[in-house]
Amino acid sequence: MKTGNDSQGHTSRDDLEQLQLEQLQSTLNRAYKNVPFYKKRFDDHEIDPGAVNSVEDLKRLPFTTRKDLADNYPYDMFAVPLRDIVRISPSAGTTAKPFVVGFTRGDLKARQDITARFLSAGKTTDTDIVQICLNPGLAGWGRALKEGAEHIGASVMPMTQMSTSKQLMAMKDYRTSVLITTPSYAMHMLRVMETIGLNPDTLALRAIFTVGGPVPSDWRDRLEGALAVSLTAGYGLSDVTAPGIGFECGEKTGFHVSEDHFIFEIVDPQSGQPCLPEAEGEVVLTTLTGRAFPLIRFRTGDVAALVSGTCPCGRAFSRISEITGSTGPVLTVAGIKVDPVQIEQILQTLSGTASPRFMIRLYKEDYLDVMEIWLEMTEDLFSDEVKRVENDLKRLRRRVFQTLGLEVAIRLVERSTLDEADLPVGGVKDER
Amino acid sequence: MLRIKNLHAYYGRIRALENVSLHVGPGEIVSLIGANGAGKTTLLNAVSGLIARKEGEIYCEGTRIDHLPPEKIVAAGISQVPEGRQIFAPMTVMENLELGAYLRFKKNEKSAVKGDLSRIFELFPRLEERSGQIAGTLSGGEQQMLAIGRALMARPKLLLLDEPSMGLAPLVVRDIMDTICRLREEGMTVLIVEQNAHASLNVSERGYVLEIGRIILQGSSEDLLNDGDVKRAYLGKDYKTFLEGRNGQ
Repeated sequence: MKTGNDSQGHTSRDDLEQLQLEQLQSTLNRAYKNVPFYKKRFDDHEIDPGAVNSVEDLKRLPFTTRKDLADNYPYDMFAVPLRDIVRISPSAGTTAKPFVVGFTRGDLKARQDITARFLSAGKTTDTDIVQICLNPGLAGWGRALKEGAEHIGASVMPMTQMSTSKQLMAMKDYRTSVLITTPSYAMHMLRVMETIGLNPDTLALRAIFTVGGPVPSDWRDRLEGALAVSLTAGYGLSDVTAPGIGFECGEKTGFHVSEDHFIFEIVDPQSGQPCLPEAEGEVVLTTLTGRAFPLIRFRTGDVAALVSGTCPCGRAFSRISEITGSTGPVLTVAGIKVDPVQIEQILQTLSGTASPRFMIRLYKEDYLDVMEIWLEMTEDLFSDEVKRVENDLKRLRRRVFQTLGLEVAIRLVERSTLDEADLPVGGVKDER
Repeated sequence: MLRIKNLHAYYGRIRALENVSLHVGPGEIVSLIGANGAGKTTLLNAVSGLIARKEGEIYCEGTRIDHLPPEKIVAAGISQVPEGRQIFAPMTVMENLELGAYLRFKKNEKSAVKGDLSRIFELFPRLEERSGQIAGTLSGGEQQMLAIGRALMARPKLLLLDEPSMGLAPLVVRDIMDTICRLREEGMTVLIVEQNAHASLNVSERGYVLEIGRIILQGSSEDLLNDGDVKRAYLGKDYKTFLEGRNGQ
């Protein structure tokens, strides 16, 4: 049986640190030379990229944020000429402007290795039948996972838009052995199975891989118990990186970071100073092999802690904990990153220049994340023609879907309802 | 086998290498490619102890060697084949080879040296045919073989090759590269410095790209051969359109 390349995880820590130093130095040299943004940023901070002598020196470098990526929209963060780019992956971003991630042929190969490693860690092999069920907002990840699974040699059913019962029918009839989805969709599928009376014993399912959100331990227990599968979770940033850049091993004691491709730091979100192991802080990511789109100390907005000690599995890759929250306003809804500002901008297309009053309610329905936008009913919006109002709301829903790949509900509410909620404009009521 | 951390090297006040880190694993063939003047030879000379003004750490099999004089570095198992061969032209082929084992003659390893001579003649039958010939009268390819043979006489664990293809006809270059492949089969570890990126990447597992004293890229040889920047800058493919592409952005 063939599995993905997992060799780097088993080199010695010493060899890995040499490799990281070499990759970090050349990444900084390339970024400084080819990306005006990084050159200016380093020069402004009087930092010579040639003076970075260790991975620890990284902490002297300035951070990169999602705003920086959006400010350099579309191509100014690219470190190679466009003709070397073979794939362009738009990301809704989380600010006013979207941003674009580019890949060279080599980058796609590296991404394939990374996702294959994640799938191999959960023992996917070339005899598996892999079914990918992700929502349209995670289409980029769907492709990455498809390529990784194909690299291993598995038979892959790529993501397709079908109802849950159709997905389950395919799972049963095609003898799917590996399911890749989000934690909440996995739970939702389990619920639907119960509803339609599908007996888990009739499935060939052996493993579930989850991406795009934390897995509560009671969910893991229920899924593993009810379906007799092993669940392997992966970590990634749906807007900028591949899924599974952090992956669970058989021990399931946190995410091993693919440290031959990335350096992870955990910093205090306020001071920017490194956190001690086991202390929670913001995950900061630096790419080591990315050619087209180098990221240097990128602030992910995700909160986690470094797990100390070595893992019994023997991998040299260090670990981070499950993601426990986010630092900024950015929400993760069904695995997709959403900034309330993006919603505000879409609502403004209806109200004109005036800022609409609204709030966001997040809740779970059959384990799925649901986002509801409560929009204040104003005179501009109000019309005797119900049809017109309905059309307006339909248009807004469609805009949100086009921007974020996310289905939302929009409710028109009275001013007093918003007053009761006592939230700032665009405030979030998270009931999940 | 070889591990370099944060190496800086200077010629007078000119900094020729800036914060270079690199490693060569046991049994690996690694290429260091770059344009003329990028600092490739400087790096080899720094490893061999031929450059006094340097900072940083160089390890050979875990032992730090950057403070050692050249002869101690040869004794530690590192032999360099210099650029342009630099054989002893007025001496015979045999005398050149014997000089390569100079350190070992002192250690009374004469019989072992005899054994190594036959191994080198096996590797380069041409040298045996011409063992009595004055080295300066050999062809360029033969001189390169002699230079490699001479370095092997010191029984190195790590061979540093500086531009082995320089000035040689393509067919001869292939011969030399084939020899390097055979050395790998025997377990030799090799660091090749080359302007002929194609030839060198084809025989190595991994490579580094040096540009104005800094490493700007590394990876498997296969990845480097397919890399856009490497193709344009070192494999002679559409350099002009590359520049236009850059400026047009």
